Amino acid sequence: MTVAQRPSHYLDRPSSSGLVDVIDLILDKGLVIDIYIRVSLVGIELLTIDARIVVASVDTYLRFAEAVNRLDLREDKTKGLPELVDDMRQGGARSKTRGALEGVKESVGEVIDRVKGDKEEEPERQERPRSRSRPPHKERES
Amino acid sequence: MNGRGTPTEERACYVYGIVPTGVDPSGLEGIGDPPARVGLVPHRGLAALVSAVVVNGPLGTAADLRAHARVLDTLVAHGPVLPMRFGGVVRDLGAVVDELLAPHEDAFLRALEDLRGTAQFTLRGAYEEEHVLRQVLADREDIARLHTDVAALPQEATYYERVRLGEMIALEIAARREADTLEALERLAPLAVAVKASPSADAPADRAVSASFLVGKGDWDAFGTAAEGLARRWAGRVGLRLLGPLAPYDFAGDAVEARRTEGAGRPWG
Repeated sequence: MTVAQRPSHYLDRPSSSGLVDVIDLILDKGLVIDIYIRVSLVGIELLTIDARIVVASVDTYLRFAEAVNRLDLREDKTKGLPELVDDMRQGGARSKTRGALEGVKESVGEVIDRVKGDKEEEPERQERPRSRSRPPHKERES
Repeated sequence: MNGRGTPTEERACYVYGIVPTGVDPSGLEGIGDPPARVGLVPHRGLAALVSAVVVNGPLGTAADLRAHARVLDTLVAHGPVLPMRFGGVVRDLGAVVDELLAPHEDAFLRALEDLRGTAQFTLRGAYEEEHVLRQVLADREDIARLHTDVAALPQEATYYERVRLGEMIALEIAARREADTLEALERLAPLAVAVKASPSADAPADRAVSASFLVGKGDWDAFGTAAEGLARRWAGRVGLRLLGPLAPYDFAGDAVEARRTEGAGRPWG
């Protein structure tokens, strides 16, 4: 790779894209082969075509509300806001801040696991965001 | 991959993208398990990047998705690439030439020339949850008030209030997303040949920015430095990630469309 990838504390420059990023890039973008090929296109079943997350949903809203409530508990029982903010700057509170937004990210992985493990599922159902309990799925092969 | 004209019944031709001739795909691992060898189907100045695929098995495992992107992103460091969307399968090698390359030869060649010397960089930013929620409560009195009301009551009694609270927070974050996206574009777009910002409507809840930039090779370093500057400025508030150099996933469609349309020039200035 010819690009100088200077080490940085601030900017994350992964050497290869993560799966979530790959999905964003290659499922919706790029040239659509159907535009060019009519006769000899082979319709092949795609596991991933509906592996998307719907975010503007009641589930997401409730997660926000829960997350904002957890902020309060921490303030009341431990220490005041300024100390917490200091902690966050130092990364000390990182492990405590797993909440609503993490849940959203996690659901992508779950969708993928499900797609891998359960080929028969209806696309409509795959578009639902996952609730916090992980659905059972087969162990990954390999 | 067998020689052309000898596809077996259950095999077909997976298409990754289109490149100018002269590209060497040897050593690239394609989709499938074990990974298929990636080969070229040449036609005049063009070649399609292909590999054999079994028709009666589904496509799209995590390894397949990664392989598709890896093939294209590896090649863009050496020259222009037109990436196909994941999942394009054609009956055989002859059809790749007759239906894909030959009829659109001119548009593909000219689009590849337009893209020569560039690659895509994609910037993704995610809000630090705790920080952004505290900011929202501090800046929006109405949200802070509803939040206090909800917190004072048992959870079962506040379902609709909690939905409303979460919705208000989501809308406020969406407004911040617009402003932050604008700032990112102001800082980075001057270094790019073309820009595409993802629509805010389908953004994940924690997204601060998502935009793709087509950047000329001479500006790759400067672009990285500018993105680094933005990340430093947003430190603690937004976690920023820069992907690239990537194949021009966000720009290839426009590049080809512009050249398919009679009389149109390059799709960007």
